[in-house]
Amino acid sequence: MTRHTRILMSVIYWAFVIYLFVPLALMVTMGFKDSKFIGFPIRAWTVDWYAAVLQDTQVMSVFGYSMAIAIATTLLSLIIGTWMAAFLGPNKFRGKAILFALACLPAVIPGIISAIALRIFARLIELEPGMLAVILGHTVHNVPFVALVVMARLSTQPKSHIEAARDLGADSIVAFFRVTLPYLKPALVGAGIFCMLLSFDDFVRAFFLGGYQPTLPVLIFAKLRSGMSPEINAISTIVLIMTAILGLWAERSMRRLNKGSPQ
Amino acid sequence: MNGDKDTIVHIDNVTKRFGDIVAVDRLDMKIMAGEFVTFLGPSGCGKSTTLRMLGGFETPDEGRIVLDGVDVTRQPPNRRNVNMVFQDYALFPHMTVGQNVAFGLELKGKSRPEIERRTDELLDFLQLSGFRDRTPDQLSGGQRQRVALARALAPDPKLLLLDEPLGALDAKLRGQVQIELKDIQKRTGKTFFFVTHDQEEALTMSDRIVVMNSGKVEQSGTPEDLYFRPASRFVAEFIGETNLIEGKVRGRDKGAIVIDWNGVDVRGAAHDHQPSEGDHVTASLRLENVICHPKKPASRTAIEGRVVSRLFKGSRTSLDIRIGEQEDAVIRAYMDAGNATQIADDLLWISWEAERLAVLRD
Ligand SMILES: Nc1ncnc2c1ncn2[C@@H]1O[C@H](COP(=O)(O)OP(=O)(O)O)[C@@H](O)[C@H]1O
Ligand SMILES: [Mg+2]
Repeated sequence: MTRHTRILMSVIYWAFVIYLFVPLALMVTMGFKDSKFIGFPIRAWTVDWYAAVLQDTQVMSVFGYSMAIAIATTLLSLIIGTWMAAFLGPNKFRGKAILFALACLPAVIPGIISAIALRIFARLIELEPGMLAVILGHTVHNVPFVALVVMARLSTQPKSHIEAARDLGADSIVAFFRVTLPYLKPALVGAGIFCMLLSFDDFVRAFFLGGYQPTLPVLIFAKLRSGMSPEINAISTIVLIMTAILGLWAERSMRRLNKGSPQ
Repeated sequence: MNGDKDTIVHIDNVTKRFGDIVAVDRLDMKIMAGEFVTFLGPSGCGKSTTLRMLGGFETPDEGRIVLDGVDVTRQPPNRRNVNMVFQDYALFPHMTVGQNVAFGLELKGKSRPEIERRTDELLDFLQLSGFRDRTPDQLSGGQRQRVALARALAPDPKLLLLDEPLGALDAKLRGQVQIELKDIQKRTGKTFFFVTHDQEEALTMSDRIVVMNSGKVEQSGTPEDLYFRPASRFVAEFIGETNLIEGKVRGRDKGAIVIDWNGVDVRGAAHDHQPSEGDHVTASLRLENVICHPKKPASRTAIEGRVVSRLFKGSRTSLDIRIGEQEDAVIRAYMDAGNATQIADDLLWISWEAERLAVLRD
């Protein structure tokens, strides 16, 4: 590589980093501006917007609602995804590839299409729009991710581990819970956090499947329509920090996946 | 039933196929209580498959497996009083050494104090007491092997299965562990069913060796039996180094079978069959059973030969000795390095006890 291309590369790299972080930095900064109007110049600073968010009962209850949906979605996705991986992984049967492809489809279908389809389906089975519908919609979307991560981890588990458990007196269920499940733990932690983020972050499905009670992204969207205010910046900043922490933790536990060689 | 009193396992005419491959072919054998039995054979001959059928991980296509008088052919592994030491040890990575050893005891529904007592006892027995709270990845290969052994011994199995458990250890450690393992078997009085493709390992440890080839038993016997009285060409060649002598049976002389080997009469013995005159046979003669005489001995059966090559191997010298004028009539023998220097003009005489030249069945 010549000197010039090296310089060019680093310029592009830094431009990219700036492009990524400047909007975020702006958003965070505006949340501390002591004025109703977003934009420069900033004459005074305040944390009032944060205080307002924390005191805003609607925001807090919507936050709780979104969290509840995320947690329920995650638990459901982990159970179904793990079951799917455990079933699809070791068993050989006809049509396995097709079944697997079908099960993974929800992960790649555009959100808007899947949301409309789910909406129609929900009406068909007379499922009221609302929390349960959102949870089910999110779960359908998340299960393939869980299944893929868990399957990848399962494929590295030596068969002899399960055989050793069976040999020592465990039936197949006990062997799964006492030996396979602990082995899957890092995959489950990683996939679980990923599910939380996907669910918490989702707008389209929540918009189409939700009832009168909005989720946080839906609420932010509604607030935006009545004009940008630094309160939104404050909410967004709080969410940003929380998700960043979760995301980093997930990334770390996924990385341990690869390092954590069997034995 | 008196004769069967000490039979712990009866593998009753068992066949196992994988598609077109016959992994185990009508295997029929008994294992006695307290025996150290080794299954020896080249890779792919069906050793692991046999072991896995005893453990309950494979089901025979034909035949039965009887454990201590009970037909267990279709019992799953968790219902059999048999434990296994896996080739990769298969220690549970998320459990400590103590938890690994206690696992089988917990599943047997033993009480807490009893589990503790037995775990302590085993860790102590295998010199692992200091490692109780470590996880498997904090142990050396030899220590892991001992943990796997402790874990398998903990539920007090009737039969312990070991599938090439020393394969992962380096050569130096392996020799030491072989002795340890044999010692543990003696002290516990347990029946060990050991699988290996390493003939030296089998000779060192076993009470009895079963040599397998293509899913079938070639020969079964004590290490000495197999080494000095191989029944087949496969066994003779698989275990140790040997001279193979081919010729026609000429008759008998004082109980020995006389074979015409390239015009020279050699004396041998058959151990489990009776070749008749005129049969074309192969016989095995171990290098160390050939006695070399620098001077012509009194014995009338000594054969004159000529050294065609010698290899110095430290304490002894290995000699290739040609008999008569034929190119391929060569016998390899060992000789004391000191005595080997006394051979004049490469001329010497060789002899052996007829008992030591084993006439093979094929
Ligand atoms: N699960 C299996 N599926 C198909 N073939 C197998 C399976 N297990 C063993 N075999 C075949 O059976 C034969 C015996 O294998 P194995 O018992 O593992 O031999 P060994 O332990 O003596 O090396 C081999 O030809 C092997 O390829
Ligand atoms: Mg094997």
